[in-house]
Amino acid sequence: MSNHNDFEKTSPWGLFLQQLIVPALAVVTALVLGAIIMWATGNDPLVAYRGLLDGAFLKKRALSETLVATTPYIFLGLAVAFGFKCGLFNIGAEGQFYIGQLAAVWVGYNVHGLPAILHLTLALGAAIVAGAIWSGIPGYLRAKLGSHEVINTIMMNYIAIYLADYLVGLSGPMRDPASSAPQTPAVDASAQLPRLSELPALMASPVTRFTAALLVAVFAFIVVRWWWQQRGNSLRGWRNPWVVGLISAGGLGLITYVFLSSLNRIGGPFTDRADRLHLGFFLAILVAVLVWWILEKTTLGFEVRTVGASPEAAEYAGISIVRNFVLAMAISGGLAGLAGGVEVLGLERNVKSFFSAGYGFDSIAVALLANNNPLGIIPAGFLFGALRNGADLMELRAGVSKQIILVVQALVLMFIAAPVIIRKLYRIRAIREEGVQLTRGWG
Amino acid sequence: MDFALIIALMPGVLASALRFATPIAIGAYSGVLCERAAVINIAIEGMMLVAAMVGDLVMLYTGNIWLGVIGGMLASGLLAILHGVLCINFKTDQIISGTVINIFAIGITGFAYRRFLATPTLTRPIPSTLQPIHIPFLAQIPILGDVLFQNRPIVYIMLILTFVLQYVLFKTPWGLRTRAVGEHPLAADTLGIDVYKVRHINVFLGGLVAGLGGVWFSLEQVGHFDMLMTNGKGFIGLAAMIFGKWTPVGSFIAALIFGLPEAIQITMNFYFPHVPYQFLSMIPYVLTMIVLAGVVGQAIPPAADGQPYDKQ
Repeated sequence: MSNHNDFEKTSPWGLFLQQLIVPALAVVTALVLGAIIMWATGNDPLVAYRGLLDGAFLKKRALSETLVATTPYIFLGLAVAFGFKCGLFNIGAEGQFYIGQLAAVWVGYNVHGLPAILHLTLALGAAIVAGAIWSGIPGYLRAKLGSHEVINTIMMNYIAIYLADYLVGLSGPMRDPASSAPQTPAVDASAQLPRLSELPALMASPVTRFTAALLVAVFAFIVVRWWWQQRGNSLRGWRNPWVVGLISAGGLGLITYVFLSSLNRIGGPFTDRADRLHLGFFLAILVAVLVWWILEKTTLGFEVRTVGASPEAAEYAGISIVRNFVLAMAISGGLAGLAGGVEVLGLERNVKSFFSAGYGFDSIAVALLANNNPLGIIPAGFLFGALRNGADLMELRAGVSKQIILVVQALVLMFIAAPVIIRKLYRIRAIREEGVQLTRGWG
Repeated sequence: MDFALIIALMPGVLASALRFATPIAIGAYSGVLCERAAVINIAIEGMMLVAAMVGDLVMLYTGNIWLGVIGGMLASGLLAILHGVLCINFKTDQIISGTVINIFAIGITGFAYRRFLATPTLTRPIPSTLQPIHIPFLAQIPILGDVLFQNRPIVYIMLILTFVLQYVLFKTPWGLRTRAVGEHPLAADTLGIDVYKVRHINVFLGGLVAGLGGVWFSLEQVGHFDMLMTNGKGFIGLAAMIFGKWTPVGSFIAALIFGLPEAIQITMNFYFPHVPYQFLSMIPYVLTMIVLAGVVGQAIPPAADGQPYDKQ
């Protein structure tokens, strides 16, 4: 394209900002159109948006609740984006999210006597596996038989909804007999993903603090050593990746230990007793980085992206399409299942009778808003979390039903998918080739 | 359940199979119209949902059911125009465009439901559903009469539409043009066919048809709008379209196959209350996946399906 020269002239920051223009204008334009719809149906958009803003950021604990709502959006956005990278459209994130919740809660209340770290890992692992199976079936059907994943993942959504309704509903096998409401028993304390407010109590014993610090240290060692190697530092002596890794690990471990020991005395935001922000949010950010790493730095990611860009070319290069279709769908579903596991173990602690949480469709918009960039999904998820969290107060203040937020989200998605509208409206030049096809037809 | 009981239940089950096949078949026809002109439309579900809502809204404010039917179809047609502009002119990814409309539909119907329909100030006409029409004489035929000639209007319209569309697509110049645009747009363009115009008209017609399927839910089956009442039938319609190899008659037969388990399920619920209804409710969705997996190899979509066309 003729725009290639522009790429070279623009500084990295300039390019970064240019890429932000369309998403930013898409969001603004969608909010304006939402306001027009509210005004036309006899509501006051200014009061509504003021409520949205207060509910999302300003009122007490609003920011914390926004981060709570952001958490599943990050996981689910990653799930959808991973599929897109392989040219697959996973519309079934919602169903995989439910199945992940069910698997996590089942392990959470049925398995007893494990240490917390094992129990938690097992429950989250179950959520990942369950989600992966749920999406792996459409992935396999697509790869082996060619039946389109769009229809199959949607069918799996409905099957998941009915399955969940049966398991948790009136006389379902997972229903808590002690409760009058249709819900599962609560998970054991050892399977709970801690909230920040619960950390001081959990970290009271030095042994726990030491274990946590050790985990952080091991993790830091792996990451830093890898990063140092990537930079091509194979120097001898103390700048050897192993040494640098060990030093960072020791340092971070020590900081973690000291920080956890002084938690009781620091206090601060996000830690009062009613605050619901849980470690899942931080896990989501870690996983976003991990997904970015897998896609950009590993053979697996390269193969997935190659199949996504051109299956014919991939096949010619000896990359198995079947394997990558199934794998990409399974990873996508695993991420969605993990979203469900984190939601249950960190936030709800049991599964209540099912109703559509509506995360599945939103997460498609999150992935596209971030242009399927795993790191971009963090701010995109934050935006959607803020909209979702603010919607309640908006409804309360302005009397406008919160489904209007879905309309705004659909409009955002439309402007992202058809950037030519935004460009014509605001007269902006294109910086990259547009109209890229992400999905394929039935054939 | 003994044999005699099955025989006795047959006409009722078949009649309700036809009834439940109606929105699926109409959804499939909408898909056939769009995809024969090479525009993939996964927004049928959303168009149906909007049509169901607008249909109820118009009926509520005018007191006339048939005005509701027309209003619902026009609303769906409006969404189809949007889909057409996005896919044909702006060359947006067609499945993403469909997803946009589906999300928009869930939002706007939920919004309008809470604003206007949940606690209406007006009252709906009585009855608030389209009433069955008994065709004189034919309705008296045993079994066949029960199944075919005592139905509500949209079922009849669906049956007529099956043959009309089959004829139009395969026996008229318009159908030939549509198929040309769907198979080889460049060749069609060379012959002087306005590719964009043919695609736009087909997508719009597909939208009107989807709207008819939508008002079936609110104005023929239930009598008012409920949130998310289309329950995936638009997507099952798409599967019926694929199973029916992009022909109206084939789609109709496929829709009957998908409608049957739902009909049996209602009867089963009644006679076997101890089987959890959720498993019976899953059957249409599971069946859709199985059928789709079985036929895709042989079902070949229009050659240019899903591909935007650059005018020469």
